[in-house]
Amino acid sequence: MLTVTFFILVLNLIVLPQSIKENVDRAIENCFGKSIRIEFDKLKIENELKKSIEKEVGQKFFSEEVYLYRIQNESDLIGYGLLDNVYGKSLPITFLVLYDYRGTILCSEIIKYREPYGGAVKNKEWNNQFKGKNVNSDLLVGKDINGISGATISVYSVTKGIKKLTLLLDKILDR
Amino acid sequence: MKNFYLFLISLFLISNSIAQDFDFNESKVSIGGYGEIHYNSEKIGNQPTKSSLDFHRFVLFLGYNWSEKWSLKSEIELEHNFVRNGQGELELEQAYINYHHADWFGFNVGVILPSIGLINEFHEPPLFFGTERPVYHNLIIPTTWFGNGASVYSFIGGFDIKLTLFETLNSDKFSFSQGIRPGRMKGYFPDASRFLYSARLDYLNIPGLKIGGSLSFNNAKGDSTNTDVIISEFHAKYVANDITAVFEFGNISYNSGILRQSLGFYFDLGYNVSSLFDWETKIQPFLRYSDINTASKTSSGGLNEKLYHFKEIMFGISIKPIEQIVFKLDFSERTRESDKRKSKFFNLGAGYMF
Repeated sequence: MLTVTFFILVLNLIVLPQSIKENVDRAIENCFGKSIRIEFDKLKIENELKKSIEKEVGQKFFSEEVYLYRIQNESDLIGYGLLDNVYGKSLPITFLVLYDYRGTILCSEIIKYREPYGGAVKNKEWNNQFKGKNVNSDLLVGKDINGISGATISVYSVTKGIKKLTLLLDKILDR
Repeated sequence: MKNFYLFLISLFLISNSIAQDFDFNESKVSIGGYGEIHYNSEKIGNQPTKSSLDFHRFVLFLGYNWSEKWSLKSEIELEHNFVRNGQGELELEQAYINYHHADWFGFNVGVILPSIGLINEFHEPPLFFGTERPVYHNLIIPTTWFGNGASVYSFIGGFDIKLTLFETLNSDKFSFSQGIRPGRMKGYFPDASRFLYSARLDYLNIPGLKIGGSLSFNNAKGDSTNTDVIISEFHAKYVANDITAVFEFGNISYNSGILRQSLGFYFDLGYNVSSLFDWETKIQPFLRYSDINTASKTSSGGLNEKLYHFKEIMFGISIKPIEQIVFKLDFSERTRESDKRKSKFFNLGAGYMF
């Protein structure tokens, strides 16, 4: 009986939170390699900063906080990750943006997509367009980011989401 | 033993807190919609010019998600402002339960849109060139084609696959001038002894390009006719580097009756000129060429196969101050194959989506 309870609890631990957390860990390893240490923190965004970024980008933050990952190798801090959500047509899209220590985008990935349309926004090729962009980039669909037919709403939402995080990280690095 | 239980409880608490940390979904209502107003002017052959002002479509989207996997999507449409004596339409255009298990599997059941052609599922005004939808999407693929049914979908490795079981067409209503269009049942008590079966495959891994096609079969039936209909279509759309290029080709074959084949294609080529001047407002002039024949093969042959065949050249501009709002202008000339009769069209429009 005890063994069964134990098994169920372990299963609960492994299965329930797995998809998002494991996808984040895998995405970070794919971008930075395996010999890294990851520190995770929830970052509460100051109200004034939140409002100014929302105004500049034209999109609200999903909540008061984003998830911040600090990525270190044996001795140094080598980069950051920010995990956040934007709304597609009606459901959240969970996405991760990974930066070098100066705030330049190294990788971006859609961690979880929940809508029946627009799933092509997960494409590696589309996400690769963000590589090398930073706070000085336009990050605008139709300008430096190409769209996807049939995924218009998701493309605009995620691009604005990435711009918000890039501006946010720049402010964090300034301090 | 006590320690072991403590360990189990802490494990449970940790697992739940991690689960909550990464559970971003909240049950919520979402609304959206689109609409378009049109000024249409037409001069058919030698007849005097006719013009009209029409708020063609007003559509409200209402959605609700019970959980991350189960949601409802619906769209109600009012066409031509109001409904009276069979003119104007109030339609339940979409109303389906969506189960989204993961990217590789999901299904929809309810009032759905068959996945045939580029525009039927993605028909908001800012998404296509021209004030009216391309004539191909009126006469060959009859958008908006909605009705009762179910579909399963999968997105794997850049391939987007959808299989649909959809209400039948009414073969009594097929016509030389409009092909299968009048045969749509629009969800109004369709005969459930038969279905339309449809499979669509798209490839999306080349940046900016969507390329694919669909094949659909229906043993359509009415009170006096019964016809096997096969709809095959190919579509490609490229939107990148300020270029928009579209090509669609469709063929409908009918195995009995007087109408035996409907055939059509069109292509669009547009360019975002505002990129040259670094303007924020997007200005896209475009050219469209269409070749449509709703009665390309008939059991009688002869004049009928030329009477409904026309070629059309269109030139127009789309202006988007923001991505969700579009102003449109277009001129077109249509030449009928049978007698070279020329018709001229001039349209202006404004549309939005949110």
